[in-house]
Amino acid sequence: MKTSDVIVIGGGLAGFMAAAAAASRKQSVTLLTYGSGSLPLASGAIDFFDAKIPESAIKDLPDTHPYKKIGAKALDDATKFFCEITAQANLPYVGRLSTQIPIVTAVGTLKYSALVPESMDASKIISKSKIFVVEIAGLKDFYASMIIDNLKKHFHDRTFQAVKIDLKLLGGRDITCMDAAQLLTDNEQPLANELKALNATPDDAIIIPPILGVAGNFSRDVVKTQLRADIFETTCLPPSPAGMRLQRAFMKYLQKSGVKILENSKVVRGVVEGKKVTGVVVENVVREKTFPARKVILATGGFYSGGITLRDFDKPKEPIFDLPVFFPEGAENWSNTELFSGKPQGFSTTGILTDDKLRPVDSSGKVLFDNLHVVGANLGGCDKIFERSSGGIAISSAFKAATI
Amino acid sequence: MEKATVVVIGGGATGLGILRDLSMRGVKALLVEKNDLVNGASSRYHGLLHSGGRYAVKDQEAAKECIIENQIMRKIGKSCVEPCGGMFTRLDIDDPAYEELWVKGCADSGIEATPITLDEAFKLEPRLSRKRVKSAYLVPDAAVDGFRMAWQLIDSSKRYGGQLKTYTEVVGFDSVNGELRGVKVRNQFTGEVYEIGCDIAVNAAGGWAGFVGKLANVEIGVQPDKGTLIAFNQRITNHVVNRLHKSSDGDIFVPHGSITILGTSSMSVPDPEDTSTSREEVESLLKIGEETFEDLRDFRILRTFAGSRPLYIPPGGAVGRSASRGFAIVDHANDGLKGFFTIVGGKFTTYRLMAEKMCDQICAKLNNKTACRTAEEPLVEEVSDNDKARAKKFFPSYGTNLAATRLGVERFKKVVERLENDPESRQLVCECENVTRAEVEEICKSDTSFIVNDVRRRTRIGMGTCQGNFCALRAAAVFADMGVESTAKDSLIRMREFLQGRWKGIRPVLLGRTLRETEMTRSIYELSMNVTGGEPQ
Repeated sequence: MKTSDVIVIGGGLAGFMAAAAAASRKQSVTLLTYGSGSLPLASGAIDFFDAKIPESAIKDLPDTHPYKKIGAKALDDATKFFCEITAQANLPYVGRLSTQIPIVTAVGTLKYSALVPESMDASKIISKSKIFVVEIAGLKDFYASMIIDNLKKHFHDRTFQAVKIDLKLLGGRDITCMDAAQLLTDNEQPLANELKALNATPDDAIIIPPILGVAGNFSRDVVKTQLRADIFETTCLPPSPAGMRLQRAFMKYLQKSGVKILENSKVVRGVVEGKKVTGVVVENVVREKTFPARKVILATGGFYSGGITLRDFDKPKEPIFDLPVFFPEGAENWSNTELFSGKPQGFSTTGILTDDKLRPVDSSGKVLFDNLHVVGANLGGCDKIFERSSGGIAISSAFKAATI
Repeated sequence: MEKATVVVIGGGATGLGILRDLSMRGVKALLVEKNDLVNGASSRYHGLLHSGGRYAVKDQEAAKECIIENQIMRKIGKSCVEPCGGMFTRLDIDDPAYEELWVKGCADSGIEATPITLDEAFKLEPRLSRKRVKSAYLVPDAAVDGFRMAWQLIDSSKRYGGQLKTYTEVVGFDSVNGELRGVKVRNQFTGEVYEIGCDIAVNAAGGWAGFVGKLANVEIGVQPDKGTLIAFNQRITNHVVNRLHKSSDGDIFVPHGSITILGTSSMSVPDPEDTSTSREEVESLLKIGEETFEDLRDFRILRTFAGSRPLYIPPGGAVGRSASRGFAIVDHANDGLKGFFTIVGGKFTTYRLMAEKMCDQICAKLNNKTACRTAEEPLVEEVSDNDKARAKKFFPSYGTNLAATRLGVERFKKVVERLENDPESRQLVCECENVTRAEVEEICKSDTSFIVNDVRRRTRIGMGTCQGNFCALRAAAVFADMGVESTAKDSLIRMREFLQGRWKGIRPVLLGRTLRETEMTRSIYELSMNVTGGEPQ
């Protein structure tokens, strides 16, 4: 079999980004995925760090933090590259590393991220005097009255109006936002007609669940051009159409760039010669197959995706290369008494530690493999959910590993 | 002033049993509970309807009570009992001499214990350790759902005029010349303190009985004894599987629907509120459990939980596992307070008998000659096949039966009507446990629903595979809309409180696939929902 310049293992945001970045540098790339990655869980926004100015806060992090291994340049380049890929798929993102842009969540709080899909950018709501919150008859998981109750805490002195529109979704099984987004793709007119009937003016905002199609902003464009008021999508319970749009944008780029994508490919182990990884072994129903590579990028995720596993307490494992895994030892360090505790959860800091080329290191800091790079949620040493850094770390570590 | 003939203190199985019994005998009774109903040992236990086999050697009186009440419970609470049967297995490390004693003990107590061959045992329970199991017997154990039993007890009591108030804590007693006049209570949400007039008060506060006694200046020998249990997300056994040895920790497996509960430990604790669990307790239960089922660690653990048995310690008596599982009734007229009684000890399986004995004494004082009928009359009427058939058009038949028995005839009828008339009410709020929006709305409107966890206990939302990942948002939203109490309105607090309740039981078992679910919880509620509402710092 032909040797790939780069093999990327993992079909989440980090894996896609690594494959795209490597392909953009004219490398031959094979992407091996298994399962659906964690994009269906994603809010759609790319979180970089929980700080007013993420860029500055990241600069002040300790040297052990994954962002410090990645470096400011890769972070910057990755952000630009990400915006290029999404823009090409008509999925424009707004924001930059020095800003935090609010989006409205499905419970009516505001969530702040450095990069958000244009369809969710809620910064303009501040200038509106009337806010419509639109429920769709039969659509699950979107409760206008709860959203209004909580949103009122952020937007005082506005008029809120809950409305329910009928898109004829009722009558079958439960309808999720993802179902509605799929049904409305290339079939936007019923929604546009219902929203037009609200007679909203440019002074008004219309908040809707994330149902504006699954392909970039195409459905949004069809609806928006017919309205005088701005429309804003919220986040939702999984599966997330915003995550699906990202997935599609990347798939489009990868296909165009000649990346070989092999789905349903479970990598069971690496092929190793001394400090060099020469390939990976994929297992399917009947046999095993070896894929040779000059460089391998591990983007299999953390506990959620099975990139790290824990059968017994204090014994986390990285199942493919059996890499050493950093973790906080003992029950008292593993988790906090409160689920939402205002501090990092120990278990979420579990992961692989690397050098500044993102190569795995052992506990003494010695590099284990010269051509294996670890990215995204596989990386340990920080609680990416608490820090709100998962998206930023995913795209920037992937970009760095692919272009190093 | 509000008045009742009898105030029952404590909303566990014993208190609810007393409320039902008194109401059926025509006594005006009011139950007060400081938390939600069945929030103590009556839901924090195995869910084992004892055959008595477990007590056949040590305490034959308890064993005899168990087998009799076991038969009664199957009859009056048919839909609360899963008649899965029980098996006692002796392992190679267990004392064969104990087996002989046990066989004799069962015979003497009237418990049918049928010896079976090992081949039969492995056929019935394929996961049993073939290396270790040396002998096996079948006994009439069963699984019982403490929650369902409680809701049915309430419905039955209400039918006879029984009343209850939750989140209402007793803070004192009012007496004149050593005779009880009333009970002072506090509303836990508003802080309002008021008095309920009564002739008799029954302290059925379980592990809390000692605290209630102190309010009346009487000493009560109750020792809270914490038991920790593990719920697995699969049905590992078909029967209740007991170790055939001297009763010890971690030696009972009870299957309930699609899950299995393993327990329990026994540890004296000063505070019955202590329902904490730890990794060490879980590890020690698993270690014992895998002696019987070698591949136990390959099953996903759903959560762990603990409850406090209210062990009765007569003056100078034994504590812990050696303490009697029997019960005691104390008339505090001898302590200088006429009209005040305490009932303490016992176990879930015999709650009805305890209630009967207590009510016999109360009725004697009241000169009420009505006989107890709680052993004959079923707790609730059966939901009609017709109503079930109507419901089955909208959700899976497995879910229909469960919903029917937890809702009862009248509420189920209302829910079915909603399902028929409003398609949106058919949405599943909880996919894991098949709970429709119509049912959640109906329960939100109940006068005992103050927080989302109250709705959880009645509907089972959030108790299944995903442990609230999806239904936390939905339930908080529906509750904010439908809840009658002002506590319903802050949806973010209710949502966090609900998830925190789930987290408590997940934390000590945070490994394997449970870890995966938790990463999902955090990803949804912290990243996609920003449920804490924080702004960038």
